[in-house]
Amino acid sequence: MADRYFNPFQAIDIHVPVEFHDSVSRYSQTGGNAVIDQSPFPRMVDFWFLAVCVAARLDLDPEDISRYATKKIIDGAIFGSDPWRVHTLMLIAIGKTGDVEIVSEPRKMMALVSGLAVAGLPKVIEMLKEGDAEPIWNLSDAIDSLLRKRAA
Amino acid sequence: MKLLCAEFQNFRLLRDLELRFSVDPHKKLTVIRAANESGKTTILHALQWALYGDAALPGKGDGFRLHPIDWSAPDGKRVPITAMVEFELTTYRQIGGELREARRRYRIVRAAFEEVDATARRTASTMRLFALNDSGASPIESPEAFVNDELPPELREVFFTDGDRALSFIEADVAQSTKRERVQRAIRSLLGLGVIEQAMKHVQKAAADVNRKAKQVGANAELRNIASRLEEIDKESGKFEAALADAKQQFAAFDEKVEETDRKISAALQKGDKEKLRKDLEHAKREIKQLDDQLAAANKEHSALFRNREVATELLAPVLRRAYDKLEELHDQGKIPNTTIPVLQNRLTAEICICGEPLVPGEPDCDERRAHIQKLIDDSLRADEIQEIITDLYYGAKPLPTDGNSWLDEYKKIVERRDGLKALRDDGGRKFRALEIELDALPDTDVQGLREARRQYKEQRDRHLSKSSSIETQLLSLRREREGLNVEFERLLREQKKGARILAELEVTQDVSRVLQSAYDRITKEELRKVSDLMNRIFLEMIGADPEQGAIIRRAEISAEFDIKVHGPNDRTLNPDRDLNGASRRALTLAFILALTKVSEVEAPNVIDTPLGMTSGYVKRSLLRTAIRESAQLILFLTHDEIAGCEEIIDDAAGAICTLTNPTHYPKMLLNDPGSAERKVLRCSCTHRNDCPQCQRRTDSDIRPEMAS
Repeated sequence: MADRYFNPFQAIDIHVPVEFHDSVSRYSQTGGNAVIDQSPFPRMVDFWFLAVCVAARLDLDPEDISRYATKKIIDGAIFGSDPWRVHTLMLIAIGKTGDVEIVSEPRKMMALVSGLAVAGLPKVIEMLKEGDAEPIWNLSDAIDSLLRKRAA
Repeated sequence: MKLLCAEFQNFRLLRDLELRFSVDPHKKLTVIRAANESGKTTILHALQWALYGDAALPGKGDGFRLHPIDWSAPDGKRVPITAMVEFELTTYRQIGGELREARRRYRIVRAAFEEVDATARRTASTMRLFALNDSGASPIESPEAFVNDELPPELREVFFTDGDRALSFIEADVAQSTKRERVQRAIRSLLGLGVIEQAMKHVQKAAADVNRKAKQVGANAELRNIASRLEEIDKESGKFEAALADAKQQFAAFDEKVEETDRKISAALQKGDKEKLRKDLEHAKREIKQLDDQLAAANKEHSALFRNREVATELLAPVLRRAYDKLEELHDQGKIPNTTIPVLQNRLTAEICICGEPLVPGEPDCDERRAHIQKLIDDSLRADEIQEIITDLYYGAKPLPTDGNSWLDEYKKIVERRDGLKALRDDGGRKFRALEIELDALPDTDVQGLREARRQYKEQRDRHLSKSSSIETQLLSLRREREGLNVEFERLLREQKKGARILAELEVTQDVSRVLQSAYDRITKEELRKVSDLMNRIFLEMIGADPEQGAIIRRAEISAEFDIKVHGPNDRTLNPDRDLNGASRRALTLAFILALTKVSEVEAPNVIDTPLGMTSGYVKRSLLRTAIRESAQLILFLTHDEIAGCEEIIDDAAGAICTLTNPTHYPKMLLNDPGSAERKVLRCSCTHRNDCPQCQRRTDSDIRPEMAS
């Protein structure tokens, strides 16, 4: 059996469209923002990952990231510390394409999930801004609502 | 002594005032009705100044202006101030076995000049005393001594007092020793204990003289030695007694300091203990820091909600389920895990198929089957890389898909935690700010410093107490030694030729000393008991109908230590100044003053300013009725409010009534213009039941708001 912690995205950089980079940075604590209520995400990759999840949840079509001018936020080696994320991304790729063999093509998977991230980023930014409270509470309420819709 | 009349000129508000007091034994009460600021307290001061001089004025007269404040310069820059008091003394003489009463009248006049400037310098006052008779006035020499005999200065507070000052015998704001000393001084003076003490000292001195004579009577060395030793003992005793008096005085002084510091600490603590506030502030700061740390941790946990597995898996649940179903399908097809290749290779090696057919190489059927199996192995090898990943994914991602609500549960917990901590933090912040404001508002009273000062005063006080005890023990020892030596001294004296006369002298001094000691003991015990009992009776009668106080007060007494004590149920001691209401406190002190005056059998006036303040209803009437009955001459300064409800008692008991008015009260409080713009007291003969145009006052409903302002 293969090594459980095999990270196929090890050598792939994670990019976001330039137009969203500032927001990703602003709402992430690694962007130099220490006020958690204003910058709810510990790292930029967490913002990016949540955008993927939200897009998948909302069944959005992945955007073609190649059409965007992008900026790297981090390389895929970051997932080495969170193997569940590797598995999740692979499952998203399988779930969205219905093709199990996609797992052998990391770049294709990354293109797909990055496309989802591009689709999800404006949604998450909207969640952060929508509301009268600080971004962390706006986002929390939005996620809460999103999850409850399923529960209902 | 009874006061007959008084006249005052230019004594503050009393520019020109004449008062007459009742001396009718059946109408002992004089009422001087006056509203506030109408000269009541000034008259009290003026009467005492007339009798005792500047020493009787507030602050012993130092800086106490006497001339009217609105004295106009054209009237002169030196103001002549005079106070005249006429009084009557009753003396008794035995004539032919019959006790005859004689009344003599005297006039005392005191005068001084005061400069009209900021310093208000005053010349030393001159006092003259005249005996009055039908033919005129005869001056009497040494008027001070005369007054001191009739109205001892120590008793000034007993004869001339106001309702509030009377409380000085029980007030809580002074040390126990001070109150005790005030009570003791009043009792000693009025009961003549001072005279007896002087006599005892005199007899002791006489005994010492006798002792010295004894040393010279003969050649008996032992007698001389004993006489010398007795002389030494007397000298030592004198020194010890002086040291004891000094130690007691020092003790009282430091006791007073301790009390005073306690009051300062108490006052500072009422506003707030700065040191304690600082500690509270530090504590609040630490609490805030802890809460901030907890809040930061909670914020981090909140933030971690957006990177944890639950948020992803719960959001992605539909997608993940779909993907995982695919993997399950492969698993069900046996493609996961990938175990085909080893099994097929094993079959080729074993040359027998799973189905039981032979797989022997070289045989046509077998070769065909072997080629098929080999193709299956080759196909599997091509898919192996993918299958390996999928297998890994299948097993690795098995726990991922979830339909749970753990993120929502976790989020709810964090919201509660953050909200709870935020509320605590807000409270802590408010508390901190409030403490800061409180601390800033505090005066710079150094409570710690005061406590330290108190500790030192207490140490000093206790040291003097200890010294007193030590000296008392030494004195006792000397007394015992003296007694022993006395016995031997008398025996030896009897053996001497000239000893009999000296012995007789000695016996006389000892007898007189015993008589004086006995008188002293009797007065301090019996007379004190009499004052105590009478005070108790008067007091209980005064407060008798007050159900509130009646429930807690059982009796009052003056202890052997000269403390005025009040006892409640089960003989529990009550603090007169704290456990009694205002009316009862007044009643207690007036009862003490009246009892003391009565037991001493000194005929003296009781001049009391506003005695009925803080009293009402039955207690007020009872207090007035009892005071009239127990006093030889009662002169009361009463406000209109104090008179209200007591009119009938005054009808019956008052032999003289007048009303004083301050014209500057027009128009706010007086109905009519008295025609004088000067600040001075005007007298009219209106009683407690009527008014004249001069004294008629506005009622509350008459006073318009603009007048009141």
